[in-house]
Amino acid sequence: METLAKPEIQGLIVRGYGRLPSAQFLLLEVRDAVLARGYLQRLCERGDGISVTTANVSPDDVALHVAFTAPGLVQLGVPASAVESFARELVEGMDEPTRAMSLGDQGVNDPEHWTWGREKPHVLLLIYAKDELMLAERVDRERTALEASGFHVIVAKHTAPLRADQKEHFGWKDGLSTPIMEGSERAADPHEVWTFPFRAGEFVLGYRNEYEAYSESPTVALDDDPQGHLPLTSDGTAKDLGRNGTYLVYREMTQDVPGFWKYLATNSREPGDDEVTRAIALGSKMVGRWPGGAPLVASPSHDDPALSNINDFTYHDEDQHHRSTACPFGAHIRRANPRDQLPSEHDRDDSIEMVRKHQMIRRGRVFGPPLADSMDPRDFLAKRDEPDLGVRGLHFICLVGHIGRQFEFVQRAWINSPNFAAMFRDADPIIGVHRPPPDPNVSDEFTCPAEPLRRKYKGMPQFTRLVGGAYFFLPGMRALRFIARHPLPL
Amino acid sequence: MHAVHAGYTIIARLKDDCVGRVRELLAEFRAHPERMPFASALTTHFATATVLDAQRYGDEELPATLMLATSFWGPSRAHEDDLVRTLGSALRALFSHCEGFPASCSDAELVRFLRAHRHADTFYSGMHHLTREDVLRHDELRAAIETFVDQQQATDGFAGCSAGALRREIQRFVMREPTLAWAQAPWQPAPNSWLARQWRSALVLALGGIYVLALVGCTVALAFSDSTTLPLVVACGWLALIIPLFAVFALVVGVWDAERQQRYTAGRQPDADVRSLAATQCRPVINEMTIANRIKDGAARPLVLRIALWIVARAAEGVPRLFPKGINIPTVATARWVAIDRGRRLVFISNFTNAAEPYVRDFIDIRLGAMRINLSFGFGDGYPVTEWIVRRGAVEDPNGFINVVHANQRHTELWYCPYDHLSIDNIKRNRAIREGLFGTVTETEAKAWLQLL
Repeated sequence: METLAKPEIQGLIVRGYGRLPSAQFLLLEVRDAVLARGYLQRLCERGDGISVTTANVSPDDVALHVAFTAPGLVQLGVPASAVESFARELVEGMDEPTRAMSLGDQGVNDPEHWTWGREKPHVLLLIYAKDELMLAERVDRERTALEASGFHVIVAKHTAPLRADQKEHFGWKDGLSTPIMEGSERAADPHEVWTFPFRAGEFVLGYRNEYEAYSESPTVALDDDPQGHLPLTSDGTAKDLGRNGTYLVYREMTQDVPGFWKYLATNSREPGDDEVTRAIALGSKMVGRWPGGAPLVASPSHDDPALSNINDFTYHDEDQHHRSTACPFGAHIRRANPRDQLPSEHDRDDSIEMVRKHQMIRRGRVFGPPLADSMDPRDFLAKRDEPDLGVRGLHFICLVGHIGRQFEFVQRAWINSPNFAAMFRDADPIIGVHRPPPDPNVSDEFTCPAEPLRRKYKGMPQFTRLVGGAYFFLPGMRALRFIARHPLPL
Repeated sequence: MHAVHAGYTIIARLKDDCVGRVRELLAEFRAHPERMPFASALTTHFATATVLDAQRYGDEELPATLMLATSFWGPSRAHEDDLVRTLGSALRALFSHCEGFPASCSDAELVRFLRAHRHADTFYSGMHHLTREDVLRHDELRAAIETFVDQQQATDGFAGCSAGALRREIQRFVMREPTLAWAQAPWQPAPNSWLARQWRSALVLALGGIYVLALVGCTVALAFSDSTTLPLVVACGWLALIIPLFAVFALVVGVWDAERQQRYTAGRQPDADVRSLAATQCRPVINEMTIANRIKDGAARPLVLRIALWIVARAAEGVPRLFPKGINIPTVATARWVAIDRGRRLVFISNFTNAAEPYVRDFIDIRLGAMRINLSFGFGDGYPVTEWIVRRGAVEDPNGFINVVHANQRHTELWYCPYDHLSIDNIKRNRAIREGLFGTVTETEAKAWLQLL
């Protein structure tokens, strides 16, 4: 096992800051590169209170992280050849037309409807704090410093404080399946069947990944780093700009919570004594877990608080015995992570070997007020026909060593494919693109396997809507120092 | 008539200065499919027509070539007739730019030209024994049954039914539906299908078996025979068996020696090139990919490549008794490898589920799959360094493999696919529904069949 150089890695990679429930994300434009680099230099220093939080520190009050788009790196003076050496996905951007089509960013999700992301922000500053008061204080301080340092705050993305019950807006417990990375503090239980650690290179550049190889890392010509901020590449021909950094995928999506529960209540044909029970049953089939977190494969008939946090479950054996009637193939968590039963693979071992190469560390936060503070489906349903002025949703953030192989592959081949698992018209029921007829690629159905016959739900509306997104590079500390000091002052 | 799938690959050298004109012609056919109506050639599943540019191989010039590659079902002669009958004028227009094509040729001459230029290929099909009509009808049947089931479920029409009773209800629906009259007879591949698919392996096994048995028999007979010629026959027999094995071993050692001189040279390709290729290969369900690459230097490689492709071909079609189903590549409808220019250039064409980039990832996500990829792609120029043909390569350098694919992917000028809404898994699922619709089954089997809907 490789040892993580934690003082060189931004802490967001190894921890999601459950102890820092308040957060705000600032999207920035660089207007004066010289001043902006000065600010970034201060972020690299320790002890003056505004430094980037590294992975060897477990803060209990505030944390700060910084990431860059490709135009942002250019704007800050990083040599063009270095920027071009980043992953093609970062260089081209999330809204590049072929990519947008491949990701399912069409129709309501089309980049032309986005509120941000088409005009690329340059920098993303992520600030986490232990409470709203401290967050407001820290954000004010940073905003003042930013405006005085050649930055313009394009927009501040507020988040809702993390809930003790970890529920997202639709009402389901979230964040339960984040993979464990080798070398991080989270320990994997050797007796568990799925939660074994993943190679660090899947999530941090400069380490071996699940292929026992290294993901491609951006480089800088030797002459462009005379101060020696960066380490040499393994062949010594260039400087490694990527080491200890990673790629950050940020997508902001709104959630139509009343519409979701209305659809469930109106259409559910799942077993249940009343409308609410039936709605919860269908919603749980769509998600793959009960609202409390218990996975359907572990508890097919009811929510079980004792299973609310488990991530150690698989699908293969259940499918053998029950033909996936417990957890549909099309359920959100199954599409996002098919574990040991990838339908296109020959057997369990092949599935595991393949699925391990398409994992992501998720660091999302929700925004907006909940439809009902109680998060009780009954309360949601009581409000389904009331005018809803609240805007709520998810700041989806994930960290990957390879955007194409991890995030984009999952989005294209598993989440949005109507033909996933030999289905015909199903996309992910929660976050997929639901295309109604007469679109030639209809994807607005959801199939619930059942004995003796499946139940098919048709005409699903769009429950989520993408309103912005961009790819960022979250640098290691040495790379951040390089970015902050390049070009050298005369 | 059997419906075994095969590849029909025509390789024709283009006349000087005709590359541009043929590309224009293919672009015209792409814009006006009625001018090259593959849809009327009912024996065709998929078709690719593309121009391979001239390329250097050491001191040799590998010529500019027109490649027409169809995936078809049934006997090849029937397919040839079908192509000539339905695409005759388009084929004449294309091949008139190729060397040796007779001017204003008759149908018979066109067939002769096709046969003369048909090239051996290593072919894989993930949907054997299905005609085009089968694929489309099976989908039609599944859709009709699903609609019926949806209607019944909406009115609780199936309430309380057992699996067997439900299946009978569906059978009755199919029986009374005039548009599904064709589905009322049981469907299964022709009885001789396995032989049509695996006759090469069967022949090798049979002849090899007879030879080895005879040799062993003669060797045993030596103990009881005073013949002076028998020892000579036996010795020659064993030598005839051993020498080819040594020859193959010597060739592999030759490749191993050349592998030690290898350098990985592909590198990251220009983003604009990769983007432009990706834009043509991101259709929602099924896509096509053509990769053409000269092979690495090394005198033994062209021959070893062809031996490797022969092995892949037998694995793809299956071997009677030993490996009857052959290999299964889950996301691939059809694939072919063609060693052209006397083994100096390797062409790979695939029709697959998914977009190109994740599809290529599929190849190497599993270690064994990456080793299989080394066995064919590993001969290509610029490929990551291999060892003993299947080791290292894409197994240790997945990025290098992706780069070499990008470097050698072609913009396919013309592609035909009649199933743009069906993945290969959909086609298999539809077939299973069709196969299991009629016939006597247990309640458990009826439950399993209903889960296909």
